[in-house]
Amino acid sequence: MGKRGSFVARLDRKATPFLFIAPFFAVFAVFGVFPLLYTTWVSLHDWDLLAGNRGGFGFANYVELFGDPRFYNALVNTVGIFLLAAVPEFFLALGFAELLNRKLRGSTWWQTGVLVPNVVSVVAVGVVFTQLYGRDFGVVNEVLGWFGVPPVNWQAGRWSSHLAVASMVMWRWTGYNALIYLAAMQAVPQDLYEAAELDGASRWRTFWSVTVPGIRPAIAFTAVAGTVNGLQLFAEPQLFDAGGGGTGGNDRQFQTLAMYLYEKGFTKFDAGYAAALSWVVFLVCVVFAVVNYRLVRRFVSSP
Amino acid sequence: MRKLTRHPAAAAMAAALLLLSAACGGSGSDGGKVTLTVATFGEFGYQPLFEQYEKDHPGIEIRSRVTDFDTHFKTLSTQLAAGRGAADVVAVEEQQLPTYLQVKDKFVNLADYGAEGLKDRWAPWKWAQGTKDGYVMGLGTDMGSLAMCYRRDYFEQAGLPTDREAVAALMPTWADYAELAGRFTAKLPKIKFADSAGTVYTAMLNQSPENYFSAKDDSYIADRNPSVHDAFYLAGGLAAAHQTAAVTTYTPAWNVAIKQGSFATIACPAWLLTQIKEAGGDAVRGKWDVTTVPGNSGNQGGSFLTVPKQSEHPREAYDLARWLTAPEQEKRLFLSDGILPSEPAVYQDPQIIAHTDEYFSNAPIGQLYAASANQLRPNYRGLHDADVRPEFGKALGRIEDGSQNVGQAWADALKMGSEAIK
Repeated sequence: MGKRGSFVARLDRKATPFLFIAPFFAVFAVFGVFPLLYTTWVSLHDWDLLAGNRGGFGFANYVELFGDPRFYNALVNTVGIFLLAAVPEFFLALGFAELLNRKLRGSTWWQTGVLVPNVVSVVAVGVVFTQLYGRDFGVVNEVLGWFGVPPVNWQAGRWSSHLAVASMVMWRWTGYNALIYLAAMQAVPQDLYEAAELDGASRWRTFWSVTVPGIRPAIAFTAVAGTVNGLQLFAEPQLFDAGGGGTGGNDRQFQTLAMYLYEKGFTKFDAGYAAALSWVVFLVCVVFAVVNYRLVRRFVSSP
Repeated sequence: MRKLTRHPAAAAMAAALLLLSAACGGSGSDGGKVTLTVATFGEFGYQPLFEQYEKDHPGIEIRSRVTDFDTHFKTLSTQLAAGRGAADVVAVEEQQLPTYLQVKDKFVNLADYGAEGLKDRWAPWKWAQGTKDGYVMGLGTDMGSLAMCYRRDYFEQAGLPTDREAVAALMPTWADYAELAGRFTAKLPKIKFADSAGTVYTAMLNQSPENYFSAKDDSYIADRNPSVHDAFYLAGGLAAAHQTAAVTTYTPAWNVAIKQGSFATIACPAWLLTQIKEAGGDAVRGKWDVTTVPGNSGNQGGSFLTVPKQSEHPREAYDLARWLTAPEQEKRLFLSDGILPSEPAVYQDPQIIAHTDEYFSNAPIGQLYAASANQLRPNYRGLHDADVRPEFGKALGRIEDGSQNVGQAWADALKMGSEAIK
């Protein structure tokens, strides 16, 4: 560059960085902030999706929401499926990461392999798993039959449907989380391991006392990201509900919050209620993300 | 290039501008041609017709947008709400029609283009369905008069007659149908008699002039309309006796069940024949047959072509819709895809009367569906039909999965049904 004291150069140095990040903020303003504000406005009215604003400014939608048993049903389902998926997913991902972190032949191949489920379209995952869990001709029931277990109607029961949906979520996200943990593991200082080895720590002990605390930021990240993903769960249960009209089974036994939002907004055309619901989902996400973050901080001590 | 790197601000600015212009990009130029988009759900069999229309009208280019039922209506609602994006000609199914009639000002009144003059083409009830207070919302395409599809081979194995007339004579009413189910199951316990309780229930209910709402004042009458009660208890009884395969029509599970031959009968509107063929393929070719449905007739499904107000070419869109729904084209669609015309004149056509289907054991489907259509009495839907209907379907589903008995499911359905219209 050289020493060029011209006005243009100074302006360039000051303004350029902002201009480079400006596209993100422009996009965020259009697709983030505006919908957020508009949703708030809609949620405060009696708003029909087709007919538009029908007046009635106030918190009526929120009042109705908090008295709506179907909202609580959806909340319980969402949290239930989230926990069923997230807890095993967390331990599995840690395990996979630990295995991938060893010196393997063809390690790139394995590392890419674990990400494949995440890259596959969620629709394909939903369709395939729904077939696997088919009541009459599904593979899962077939295999259970070998052990004398009678066929399970996976969609019909609360627990069976939650398990099935949770398995789809695990299938999609375990590898993704494992790769994040792996990246973090490779940054854990080698001398900590050498020290542990000198102390005669077992492999297991080393893993829990050195590796896991060493990747704490990564775990915190997956806890927050996973919570947000988990509480917005939509495509998997929606596809699992073949022919059910998006209510998550005959008794709404696996209707998640996002599915309920979709039902209200696009089947019943009650846009005001759906907008209120989306704000409540947002708050639920925030609360859960904070709680999970705290849990990680508390139980995973720093090295 | 070098200049750009020296002043990155310019580069960033250019990038931002590019992004914005990409986001706002509208439709491109169409070279002087008028482009009409036609949105349908499922296959309407329109492709060859589009090609002919384009040939006859060199200034018109047609783009087809086909999605599944749910996606189609959710997209349409969003487009109507947003005020843009809807196709020029949009198919609306009769079950959804009341919803859109409530916001009819979002659609072109086809009477403005002279649609009233075409009135006599359609069965009077079909015309009436698509209009409201002088507002012509849509032109009728098909209708869904009912027949009964059955597996000849299974009937034979169960020691029942297999002839179309004989089978029809076995079940003139739905009570006879249920009784036949018992005889069938006793002989062939592994094969279910019907595909789902919902199908039987819907077929029965569609033979009644009123369902959940009173035709007089649109009040909720599900709790005191004997037709609803009877249909629910009969279909629910089949479900409780495990005589249904418990697969919802058009779902992947249903497709598999057709291919595997899990059930022996299904009430089939004309448009369902294509779906059975697609699901069954060569595995069940020639094993199905078609006969008269218990209770003789009933309407199930059928659509209208509408023109949303957003359309930039309403005149051309109307012309296309009018042509697509003209008797000659409806006849062609029946012969090629089994889509049943809603225009009585077509039923007198010798080609229609003589039409048989090789896949369904050469059943005279032209004659069968024409006869069924002639006896068809339309039923009143009600504004909130789409809200209430699923609740009764789900209640039947609960009987099928064994979580409720018929009485509990009925009580639940009534409760949920009245909650759905609050």
